[in-house]
Amino acid sequence: MKQTLVTGNEAAAWGARLARPDYIPTFPITPQTECIETLAQWGADGELPDTYFDKMESEHSVMSAAVGAAAVGARVFTATSSQGLLLMHEVLYIASGMRLPIVMATVSRGLSAPVTLWSDHNDFLDQRDSGWLMFHAENNQEVLDTVIQAYRIAEDPRVLLPVMVNMDGYVLSFTDEPINIPSPEMVDEFLPAYAPAHTIEKGRPITVGPPVLEDYSIFRAQNHVAARNAFEVIEETQDDFEKIFGRRYHMVDEFMLDDAELVLVTQGSMSTTAKAAIMEMRSEGIKVGLLRLRVIRPWPAGAIVRALKDAKAVAVIDRNLAPGKGGIMFPEVVETLYHLDDRPLVSSFVVGLGGNPQTEVKIKEITSKLKEDLVSGQPRVEWNDIEEM
Amino acid sequence: MQEFKNLKDLPEQDYFTGGSSACAGCGPSMELKLALKALGPDTLVVNASGCMTLLPLYPNTPLKVSWIHNAIENAASTAAGARHGLDMLGEKDMNVVVFAGDGATYDIGFASLSAAATKNERIIYICYNNQSYGNTGFQWSTATPYGCETKTTPRGKDNPIGTTDVHKDMMKIMGAHRVYAATASLAYPVDFLNKLVRAKERGGFSYIEILGTCNTGWNFDPRLTVKVSRLAVQCGMWPLYEIDKGLLTLNKDFQELKPIDEFVKIQGRYRALPQEGVEKLQALINEHWAQLKEYNGQRYV
Repeated sequence: MKQTLVTGNEAAAWGARLARPDYIPTFPITPQTECIETLAQWGADGELPDTYFDKMESEHSVMSAAVGAAAVGARVFTATSSQGLLLMHEVLYIASGMRLPIVMATVSRGLSAPVTLWSDHNDFLDQRDSGWLMFHAENNQEVLDTVIQAYRIAEDPRVLLPVMVNMDGYVLSFTDEPINIPSPEMVDEFLPAYAPAHTIEKGRPITVGPPVLEDYSIFRAQNHVAARNAFEVIEETQDDFEKIFGRRYHMVDEFMLDDAELVLVTQGSMSTTAKAAIMEMRSEGIKVGLLRLRVIRPWPAGAIVRALKDAKAVAVIDRNLAPGKGGIMFPEVVETLYHLDDRPLVSSFVVGLGGNPQTEVKIKEITSKLKEDLVSGQPRVEWNDIEEM
Repeated sequence: MQEFKNLKDLPEQDYFTGGSSACAGCGPSMELKLALKALGPDTLVVNASGCMTLLPLYPNTPLKVSWIHNAIENAASTAAGARHGLDMLGEKDMNVVVFAGDGATYDIGFASLSAAATKNERIIYICYNNQSYGNTGFQWSTATPYGCETKTTPRGKDNPIGTTDVHKDMMKIMGAHRVYAATASLAYPVDFLNKLVRAKERGGFSYIEILGTCNTGWNFDPRLTVKVSRLAVQCGMWPLYEIDKGLLTLNKDFQELKPIDEFVKIQGRYRALPQEGVEKLQALINEHWAQLKEYNGQRYV
């Protein structure tokens, strides 16, 4: 298959184009804008005959329009980032509560104030309780592939939940990478047209989004069940995807874990840097490996336990910060391992806020510190980027 | 679709049936019931959070048409998405009709409304204007008229007037969007429904604002809802007019307006308004009415 150089934004746009959505509501925000501009141009060029490309006056309206279109049975795509994702926040809960299989690419960028255009994961992780399924891609190929997979997962009757596919701003969104763009025929084979069981249509009136009284908790519980049903559906989807496209993805991405004593837990594009550092450290005889969190919701506790249970020490590297608490994913990983009889030591590192680069040198430093922690038996909590303050 | 000649001409079929949780004497629910007679069964109502959100209460609904409630500030955008979704799926003859209060329209949902109108989305946007945040118990919105007491503009020693701001001229703003904009009243149902017919036939975006006469918030006897609605028109508090492509048509002209006193004295929300406040309210109404008379049949915005 031919390889093409595309940015992360273009990869997301390609994923959307191949999924042939009925409706794409949009609003620009750096560093996502190129994604919707690409789709707008394709629309103007007649390359999206099955799609209505719409422009809205805010991200709040983007998600509201997405809800309106999905509620009448349309397949919907959109993209956003940072402040825009936060402006959508209210409607994200409504989309998942209404069980609407919207797919959205998110491009991570640090949150104001002060303003940064560069990437960290606070915007994405702020949505972790919104009821959306959440994927975080490592590279542009994975962005495209996951957008296509996301529709299969979202529209499965066992799931019926919206899906977010995240990539890191700049590092992926604006960086060309060589990727395979699948043929439309292959994607059509993998992804059938959306045929919703319950939707607003002529001759069959339904009510969407009414108030409830004591049944509220039942609806919330159904959301939880649906999100947990996604485990099975994600696995099946990966099987079918591999059969057609020859690429395999997992709930978590395991790298050199077989005999690893030290394990770095990462998210997003810094995983690629960390993998390069790990290969160098391996050549120096350090038994280090990596676990990349690919699916954030539903939380793949089983896969994480299987991957980390034999490690001696784990460093959770958070590219985010909950002020007054610490890294966001650190406690999630710790609670996942807590019930193991022989659980590894877990240290926390908060790094790379607002796009501070994650170099191989930094990854090696973290690994050395983790090794020290293993010797001392004392896990650490460290804000790597700001410790000198 | 033909315009209606008189009340006998209205369809008997109702798509808003019994069992709603609306207050006795609720204007907006009667207005929706009327609107659905004109719009028919192939209608999706897009509701913004407010009193009417409580019409369906899971697992019951008094409605025989489809209904979606998203949030308070996004009915126009939700409707735009639904419109395009339906169009793309070949359901072009479904009506998409917003039914939203004034808070959701004038205030928090104004940006989304303005964008949908600018894009001339094929939506009929009905604002039922009860001149307040009614469902939360009658607080001030930018549609609240001068001199009206609300829970967030209470009268007191330092402020005997209550609402000292003059409400937003929404019709002018919507008229400036180059769409069809019209006011309507529960007391003039044929006029209201014909405006819906015109909106539908015209295609594109239409804005119809109906006085959402609210006996609990305005504090009057629920038997008087239609009378209060009629008085509002006769006093010039709620003139009936339409703006199409910038041109103004006054639909209900009067040689002389009834004094605003008649409207004010039967409602608790104005009861303690001092005479100077009543006079200022009358002056504001006179000014607006004179403007409408002056521009009737001419370019207004």
